[in-house]
Amino acid sequence: MSGGKAITCPACGGKIEVRAAGFTVNLACQNCGSLLDVSLPEVVLIRRYKNAKDRFALEIGKRGTVFGQEWEVVGALRRKDQITIWQEFLLFNPYLGYRWLLVADGEWQFGTPLADRPQGDRNRVFWRGENFSRLGRDQPTSTTAVAGEFYWRVKAGDTANATLFQSGETILSREVSDGEENWTQLVPVDETEIENAFGLNRRSLPRRKAAQGLMQFKAAPGMEQDDLGRMFLLAMAISLFAAIAMALLAGPSTKTSSMIQVPVGGQIAPVKIGTITVRRPWQFVTIDADANRFENRWVDLEYNLVDRSSEQSIDAFGLVEHYAGTSSDGAWTEGSHHGDTMFGHVPRGTYDVYVSGSAHGWPVDPAVTDAWGSTETINLTIEASTGAMSWGMWWTLVFALFAWPVSILWWRFRDK
Amino acid sequence: MPVRGPSLPYGTCPYCQTLILREGLRVEDVGKVAVLPFDVSPIQLGTTLVADGRGMQVVGRVRWAWAGGSWNEWLAIAETGAQFWLAEAAGMFMLTAEWPQLLEDPKVRSFAQGEAITRGDVIEVEGRQLFASDIKKVECLGSEGDLPISTLVGTRMTSVDFRSASGEVLSLQRDKTSTTAWFGDSWDLTSLKPGNLRQLEGWTIPGEPR
Repeated sequence: MSGGKAITCPACGGKIEVRAAGFTVNLACQNCGSLLDVSLPEVVLIRRYKNAKDRFALEIGKRGTVFGQEWEVVGALRRKDQITIWQEFLLFNPYLGYRWLLVADGEWQFGTPLADRPQGDRNRVFWRGENFSRLGRDQPTSTTAVAGEFYWRVKAGDTANATLFQSGETILSREVSDGEENWTQLVPVDETEIENAFGLNRRSLPRRKAAQGLMQFKAAPGMEQDDLGRMFLLAMAISLFAAIAMALLAGPSTKTSSMIQVPVGGQIAPVKIGTITVRRPWQFVTIDADANRFENRWVDLEYNLVDRSSEQSIDAFGLVEHYAGTSSDGAWTEGSHHGDTMFGHVPRGTYDVYVSGSAHGWPVDPAVTDAWGSTETINLTIEASTGAMSWGMWWTLVFALFAWPVSILWWRFRDK
Repeated sequence: MPVRGPSLPYGTCPYCQTLILREGLRVEDVGKVAVLPFDVSPIQLGTTLVADGRGMQVVGRVRWAWAGGSWNEWLAIAETGAQFWLAEAAGMFMLTAEWPQLLEDPKVRSFAQGEAITRGDVIEVEGRQLFASDIKKVECLGSEGDLPISTLVGTRMTSVDFRSASGEVLSLQRDKTSTTAWFGDSWDLTSLKPGNLRQLEGWTIPGEPR
C-alpha cells in the first residue's frame, strides 16, 4: 500500500518491504529477524537470526494520525536503563521526516528530533526561549531488541548516555553515543490517541512499574534505582516500632491534677497536687504546667515527689515563660505558656506530688498591687502522670531517622 | 534530453545514463552514470523551493554513499543563476550556498591541501561558531539532471559537515581536483514552501487535499 520498495531477505528469502527506501540503513527482516544493511543497492546481511520476532505495543507498518499528521510505524526498539524498560517507535512520513513515540510506565510521549541544539550546562539548558532543568541524572541506556527499519546502524546492544531536561510538560532528551549528540523534544500524548491511530497490542506494552503512593517518586523518569524508598519505609517502621515500644515501657498510667495561683513578684509555698502510683519497678513521671495567657512573665516551679513509705523526695524544676515585644525586625514573641518536666527514673511506690514556685515580671517585677489593690497572679494547671511517653525523645528519633532520606529527596527535587 | 540548468556543465541522460559535458556548443560523452536506486524522497527534478525569499528550482541530484548509509544532494538554481545544494538527511534538510571566501580560512586552506579535520574542530562563519560533526569519505551512487560536477561511477570525495548550535551548517567538499565550501541552514520541508513535490504512492502531500 505504501510506495515502498520490496527486497528479498538474503537470510530467509522472504519478501520485505522497505518503507523509507533511501533513508533506511538497517532493517530487521520481519520474517526471520535477521539484521540487514539496505543502504546500498545490494542488500547485505549483517547478522542472521531465526524467528527473532519480538512483540511490540505497535505493529510495524501501521499508519495513523498523531497531532493532525499521518505517520507510519517503521521501526521499534526496546530499551532499558537502570530503572525501567520502555519501547520506542520510529514514525515516518516522506514529506515530514521522522518522529518518535515512546511508551514507558503507561505514559506515551511524542518525540521530534531537533536540528538546533539546546545550549547550557549539566543542570540547565536553554532552548527556543525556554529554560529546562535536568531531570534526574545521566543514565546509561541500552537497546535490547529491534524490529523494522532505521536510518542509522542500529542493533541490539547499542548503548547511549541519556539526560533529560524538563520545563512544564515538555522534556528535552539528549542522547550521546559514540561522541554523537542527538536532541529530541518530547511532549505527552494520550494513550487513547495512539490506540485510535495505530491500534495497540496491550499485552505487549512495557510492564508498568508497581510504583504507587510513597514509592511513586522512584519511578520518576531519569531517577536511578536506589534504596530511597526502602529508607523511607524502614524509617517509618522504626518510628512506629519505637512508639509501640515506648508505650509498652511507659506502663500503666495514673494521673492527678490541680490548679495553683502564683502571684507575680511573689511566691507560693508547696501545694499538694495529688497522689500518683508507680506500679512498675520504675516508670517515667511527667508534670505538665499549663498557664493562662500572660506576657513578659516567667514562672519558676519546683516539683517534689514524696514517697509515702520512705518520706524521700525526688525533686525537679519547671519553667513557664513567655515574652513579646517589638524590635527593628518587627513584633516578636518567645517562650511558651506551657512547660513539661519529666522525671526519668521513678522507682515503684506511691508519691504525693507537691509544687511550689515564684513568678516574675520582665524586665522588672511590676508593682505588687495595681491601682485597685489587687495582686496580679498567674494561674497554672499542674498535671502529674505516670506511664507518660517521652514524645520529645520520640520526635528526636524520628528526626534522626528521616533526616537522611528527606535530604536526599530534597536535593534531588530542588531543581524542579 | 531536457536541460533545466543550461549554465551547468554536466548533464545525465535519463534514457541511457550517459554523463554529458557541455562546453559552449560542444557536447562530449564523458562516461556512464549509475542508475539511482529507488527511494521515497519527496523532492524531484522540477521541485520549487523558497528560502529566505529566494525562489529556486531543483535541477539535479547526486546520491552519495558512505560507511553509515547514503543520502541525496539536490542541486537547486535560483533565478539569478546562484547554485544551492539541498542535502537530505533523515527527513531534515540542509540548504547551502557556495561560500568561496571561506577558502581563505587557514583551517579550510589546510584541509584543501589534504590535511585532516577532526570532529569538534571549530570554524567561525558569519559570527557563528560551527563544530565539525561529520567527517565522511563518500562515493557517488548515481545522479540525474544537470550538475556542476562529474558524477561518473566511482567518483569519490571527502565531505566534512560543521554545525552550529542554532542549526547552521558548513559543508566542505574535497575531491581530487578542488575543494569547495558551502554554508547555510537546517530546514524542514514545509518551511521551504515546496512546490511540485513528488507524489508518493499511498501518501498525501501535506497541505494538499486528499
